[in-house]
Amino acid sequence: MRHTLIKCLALFLCVLSYAQTTNLSGIVQDETGLPIPGANIIIKGTNNGTTTDFDGNFTLKAEIGATISISYIGYVTKQIVITESKNLTITLEEDVSQLDEVVVVGYGTQKVTKVSGAISTVKSESIDQLKPVRVEEALQGTASGVSVIQGGSPGSSPTVLVRGIPSFSGTDPVVIIDGVPQTLADLNSINSTDILSLNVLKDAASTAIYGVKGGNGVIVVTTKSGRNSEKVEISLNTYTGVQSVFKKLGVLNATEYAAIINEGSLVSGGDLIFNDISSLGEGTNWQDEIFKDALVTSHTISARGGSEKLGYFLSSGYLSQGGIVGGSDKSNFNRFNFTANLNLQLTDKIKFILNSSYANIKSQTVAENSFNSILGSAINFDPTVSVYNNDPNDFATYGYSNLLLSEIFNPVQQLDNTYNESNGDKLYGKFEIQYDVLDNLKLTSRFGYTKWDEVGKSFNPLMYYGPNNVSSQYTSDGEVKDGEHNSVTEYTNSTFSYTFEAFASYNLNINEIHNFDVVLGTARSKSTGYGFGATRQDVRDNAWEWADISAATGVNTDENTDAYTGYSYQNLERRNMSFFGRLNYDYQDKYLASFSARRDGSIAFGDDNKWANFYAGSLGWVVSNEDFFNSEIIDYLKIRGSYGTSGNENVDPQYVSITIGGPSYNATANSNGYTFGSTFVSGATVDSFSNPTLAWEVQTQYNFGFDAKLFNNTVSINADYFNKSVDGLLFTDATPLYAGTSLPVDSNIGSTESKGFDITLGYNNNFSDNFSFNTSFTFTTSKNLVTSTNSDGTAFVTGGSYFNGQSQDVTRFEQGFSPGYFYGYVTDGLFQNQAEIDVHATQTGANPGDIRFVDVNGDGTITDLDRTKIGDPFPDFTLGWNLGMNYKNFDFTAFTYASVGNDIFRAYERNAQYTNKFRTILNRWTGEGSTNNPNTPRYTFEDSNSNIRASDRYVEDGSFVKIKSVILGYTLPQDSNNFFSKVRIYTQAKNLFTFTEYSGLDPEISGGILDTGVDRGAYPQARTFLIGLDLKF
Amino acid sequence: MKNIKYIGLILILTSFVGCSEVIEFDPHDEYAVTEADYLQTQEDYETMAVSCYTPMQWLNQLYVIADIASDNAVAGGENASDVISLQHLDDLSQLVPNNSTLSDLYLSAYEGINRTNYLLSYKDQNLQGETITWSSKEAMYGEVYFLRAYYYFALVKMFGNTVLFTDKKLGVSDFGTLQRSPKEEVYTQIETDLLDAISALPTTQDQEGRITKYAAQALLGKVYIYQEKFDEAIPVLNEVVNGPFTLVDTFDDIFLLEGENGLESVLEVQYSNGQPYYNWGGQTRGQGNYAVQQCGIRSLSAESSEMPYNSGWSTNLPTQDLALAYEDGDQRKDATCFDIEAYIAANPTWGITYQEAPYNNTGLYNKKYLPRAGQTSGQVELNYENNHRIIRYAEVLLLAAEANLRGSGSATDAQTYLDMVRDRAFGDTNHRVTATVDVIWNERRLELAMEGDRFFDLVRTGQAAGVIDNFVTGKHEVFPIPQDEIDISGIEQNPGY
Repeated sequence: MRHTLIKCLALFLCVLSYAQTTNLSGIVQDETGLPIPGANIIIKGTNNGTTTDFDGNFTLKAEIGATISISYIGYVTKQIVITESKNLTITLEEDVSQLDEVVVVGYGTQKVTKVSGAISTVKSESIDQLKPVRVEEALQGTASGVSVIQGGSPGSSPTVLVRGIPSFSGTDPVVIIDGVPQTLADLNSINSTDILSLNVLKDAASTAIYGVKGGNGVIVVTTKSGRNSEKVEISLNTYTGVQSVFKKLGVLNATEYAAIINEGSLVSGGDLIFNDISSLGEGTNWQDEIFKDALVTSHTISARGGSEKLGYFLSSGYLSQGGIVGGSDKSNFNRFNFTANLNLQLTDKIKFILNSSYANIKSQTVAENSFNSILGSAINFDPTVSVYNNDPNDFATYGYSNLLLSEIFNPVQQLDNTYNESNGDKLYGKFEIQYDVLDNLKLTSRFGYTKWDEVGKSFNPLMYYGPNNVSSQYTSDGEVKDGEHNSVTEYTNSTFSYTFEAFASYNLNINEIHNFDVVLGTARSKSTGYGFGATRQDVRDNAWEWADISAATGVNTDENTDAYTGYSYQNLERRNMSFFGRLNYDYQDKYLASFSARRDGSIAFGDDNKWANFYAGSLGWVVSNEDFFNSEIIDYLKIRGSYGTSGNENVDPQYVSITIGGPSYNATANSNGYTFGSTFVSGATVDSFSNPTLAWEVQTQYNFGFDAKLFNNTVSINADYFNKSVDGLLFTDATPLYAGTSLPVDSNIGSTESKGFDITLGYNNNFSDNFSFNTSFTFTTSKNLVTSTNSDGTAFVTGGSYFNGQSQDVTRFEQGFSPGYFYGYVTDGLFQNQAEIDVHATQTGANPGDIRFVDVNGDGTITDLDRTKIGDPFPDFTLGWNLGMNYKNFDFTAFTYASVGNDIFRAYERNAQYTNKFRTILNRWTGEGSTNNPNTPRYTFEDSNSNIRASDRYVEDGSFVKIKSVILGYTLPQDSNNFFSKVRIYTQAKNLFTFTEYSGLDPEISGGILDTGVDRGAYPQARTFLIGLDLKF
Repeated sequence: MKNIKYIGLILILTSFVGCSEVIEFDPHDEYAVTEADYLQTQEDYETMAVSCYTPMQWLNQLYVIADIASDNAVAGGENASDVISLQHLDDLSQLVPNNSTLSDLYLSAYEGINRTNYLLSYKDQNLQGETITWSSKEAMYGEVYFLRAYYYFALVKMFGNTVLFTDKKLGVSDFGTLQRSPKEEVYTQIETDLLDAISALPTTQDQEGRITKYAAQALLGKVYIYQEKFDEAIPVLNEVVNGPFTLVDTFDDIFLLEGENGLESVLEVQYSNGQPYYNWGGQTRGQGNYAVQQCGIRSLSAESSEMPYNSGWSTNLPTQDLALAYEDGDQRKDATCFDIEAYIAANPTWGITYQEAPYNNTGLYNKKYLPRAGQTSGQVELNYENNHRIIRYAEVLLLAAEANLRGSGSATDAQTYLDMVRDRAFGDTNHRVTATVDVIWNERRLELAMEGDRFFDLVRTGQAAGVIDNFVTGKHEVFPIPQDEIDISGIEQNPGY
């Protein structure tokens, strides 16, 4: 019996193993049930196999019991033992570990596993979810190593820094859209739903192939392209929402204002300003008058698919964003996009790619970020004034102050009389030919271009601010004052740039062990631009409706030469010529090496330095691929290191210029001309030096990092340490006095250093079919230092200027300090009595209740020399935290961004005698012992101590945590609708909460390196609630 | 089909072509005029020569400090920390290398040298190697030679040994490569330039203010006297003495607007107010005379519109010591030292008010350059049109008298020249004195006070230590080289600083 059983079993096995071949058939589909064409099906241990057809179907001769392997890029390879020949339905899961994911690098793509440089990636899913108005928003907190400081004005450019602050200007990373170099500003015209991926190349090994343009990092944008041999997929995305301000500043109401004005006057020995404050009440809260809810709306539709020879991605979008300062009527950003990305397989070997995008951008703006902007006026204007004039005997339309007689006006009046519009057209894209000379040799030639044309108009109407206001253009009886005119300005700007590149890509595999990947190429590029404008006075009816050059009537006369004026300009035509190459090598996916080089020629460089060479190399070791590596916890581990150089061509060409004319207003006042008798005669002289050795700034960067995946690929870690130094930083050297007053030239004399960590931590787990969870953290830090400027360190650049009665420059770029640091006096409480003043260093004008400034240099007197570093506008580190969950058909995403250690300089306080004051003044010093807080000195009109000088009194910690985005979505079950393949509705909140100690409106204040963190009444970001719908069919 | 392949190849290859030209820069793309485009016509040369004059205007503080640093005037200003660079020149014990006025003068004079050098370096051939000729070319270059000498003379007077270069305008590669030359070499160059100027210049010019042969001769005479080359000075100065100049009867009139470029004028720096200048960053670099605003009376105003003066900043105030140096009857006293109280007393009905000079008040103001109503425009402080009188015929007479007395000249001539000056000052011949060297030197003070000579006169005559408080012999004969220049160029500082 027992033998029989064994025999039977043996026979059964024999039958199985010698079983008949069967005609296997089936369909391969993805998780949503869509067929996957082109999937590979191979019988293990043989060379037999097939691929699926257009509808995902396949047939294959196989033996029962054989194992087939089904694979497709981006999906987990599946293995199935054939048990019967019935129709199989094979569902491939998307590869969550994404080990086979590719990143787009300079002039090619690379498998993530083979990358040995430092690259951050933002995937289309997170862009799709976030729905940013500008693409940079999607990088904030999601791409480690990238600092993004956003502004609040609709469509405004954020500050974007990749790995620290190398310079005081020209720090924008280069943007490559589908291989074509563009600028950061060009990201305003791209529709976020068109984007497939964003890669940020951070280390020298990745950026050196962009040479002289790569020094500030490279943002590689890849847009969606056609999919050959696929049915059309149409996507429709729409959302609409309401934006509103989430915080207002605490200013005094009318009664409090009048009381404090009276006090200020009395303390200075003056009279009461308001004799009866009891009737004033609350007065006008100007912030309530100018902050308005504004709509944001977006619709996009796209079609993607293709036949065997033609792939297409077509998309059209409309976005309209209103501004919360002034509302949609006065502040807005509107964009239409049309994109056609086509690829045509002309022959077996030749492919033609045509990407064309058109964007139309219309916008209107309000004055911002200054004490007399709309918002600045709303903060500082007299609260006792009514919005509109109530006196029928006064012809004024708006209320006006009889105390504030210049600079700051009724903000509602300012807003109503703000008239401007700009309308720009951008056309960009590429023509590309790819020629597969051999299976492993491809030639690519492409022509990428960007054309931008903008026309704009603005109108300055005649205004009346009351009888005593210096800016009133009418007399009190309504007559236009002599010499006053309204005016209309029209302008046009145009830029064009192209890049023409040709390169060959060759890969070679020796014995399946040695993999070589070679790119060699050349590029030339050009950018140019020009503009015209005209201004004409005397617009009919003082009305925007008539505001046009053709309708205005101003004519120049001897008395008035400004009635009709014009200008034109021509941008420097920048041209570059480059050669580049890269060699990637790996040994069995274990040992990775890469070397790249670029040679750049630029018209910007001096005659003696026309060409620059940049080299970089990187090494990687995939430890987890070693035989000895055996870890239960670590599934994947790669260690990387790189070193190399890249550059920055932030210079203008050099030549010895001649200036002809009279007195000069340039920095050295190199005046011309002379008087003979009493007649002025124009002269000519040499105006500039020329530095023929002027060259590029060289960035040298090294990078160490590792990538790891742990716990069954559920946890991922990417961490990098970088150290980059800039040599030859362009700085204006001190010129010997004996060389005279020609304009000094820049020399490559400065240097900076930045170092820091970029870390990304991810956790991703599909707990069940119904529930998946993912979360990720990014951590970005950089420490920046200006290591030298000129030879003795005496040269520095100042910025961050603001006005609070005196013009103040509050930021500096100076040797030995972090770039753009805040510079001013250090406070040490308040003088409580005369005795304290007497024992302190001599501080002219100090009285009890005034701020005690620190005698930093110890010379016994408080002078300019006591100013020092009082803050740093750039954060110590930033954190992004993304949380995603899917439960059944619900999806939830929350994104939180934190910036820690960024200081803000509060520059919106105008501090004139009669401007409104901030609520902190209610805690002011009123007598000995009342307070010692330097932010609340005594209040006096006179301010003989200059308590308003730039000091740490105005510096606040601007650290913040913002819940940037919270999304809750619901996808309709698939079987409930036959027509749509996907229906998702969602609701999103942007800037839901901001946690900060900062007393101003919004702690995120963008600007250039020397303007970041200087809050002159910056446009705050809006809190937005929106609902949206995503459809696919 | 094959064609398509080749199209791809051709596309690739074309981008290799013409790589070098692509990155060459042509400034004409920016419509910029460069030195390669200029000095191609007579007009270019003449226009550039005009701007060789410009830095003369910028040197107006030179004439201010020469009196402040001497016994003639005090710095004044609002308080001890106002016009600090002038305060330090007033009290030489405080004079340190970091002095903004001296820096600006040094820079301005060198700009003049760079400008004149540039034009001189292209005299024979322009940058393209072409020779541009016209009939008055040599005469024009006479002006340029004069101007270079003028700038070097300013430098050598103030700083002694100084950086000397004559072949070109300095470029970036020259920075930091130069050292100071002995002042003797600088003087030699000044003489050479002035002799070249004299041989080329006409005795009269169509435009007022253009350098004439007489101006060059007068300056050369003065330069010789500074070097104590009296016998060489005599014939040169005699040419001017015998020139077409006469002394103006009313001393005060010389300094009126109507007196500009008058009968007595040998050399004047021209200013005007038709090109109002607003640049506080270059306050001395417009077409107006900044020194005028400086010496005005603070908050001066009058009910009557007849009062001719504008207010100013009460700097460069004449001392009582200067006022007391004049004898009774010398019309130069009131024409030099303006006594505001006396003026108010003399015009009681005008309702004149003013603020007493808050610092260093002497009660006196510089009458020669007092700001006058209606003579400025735009940014009023910067645009006074008063010319600076640099060399007057009276000074030529005194120089000639000194040269004759100190050299082997004629004592009779010296007496004649001195008498001419004193006769005009007193309006009679009753105040003549015997011409001695000391008398001539004193007469220079009286005649030329507040005109920018006193300090340098005291130094060259060896009287400084006896006259100027805190003057240290062996140190204060020259001013310190600006600290910036020491730091940047690595040149040597003057002894004692």
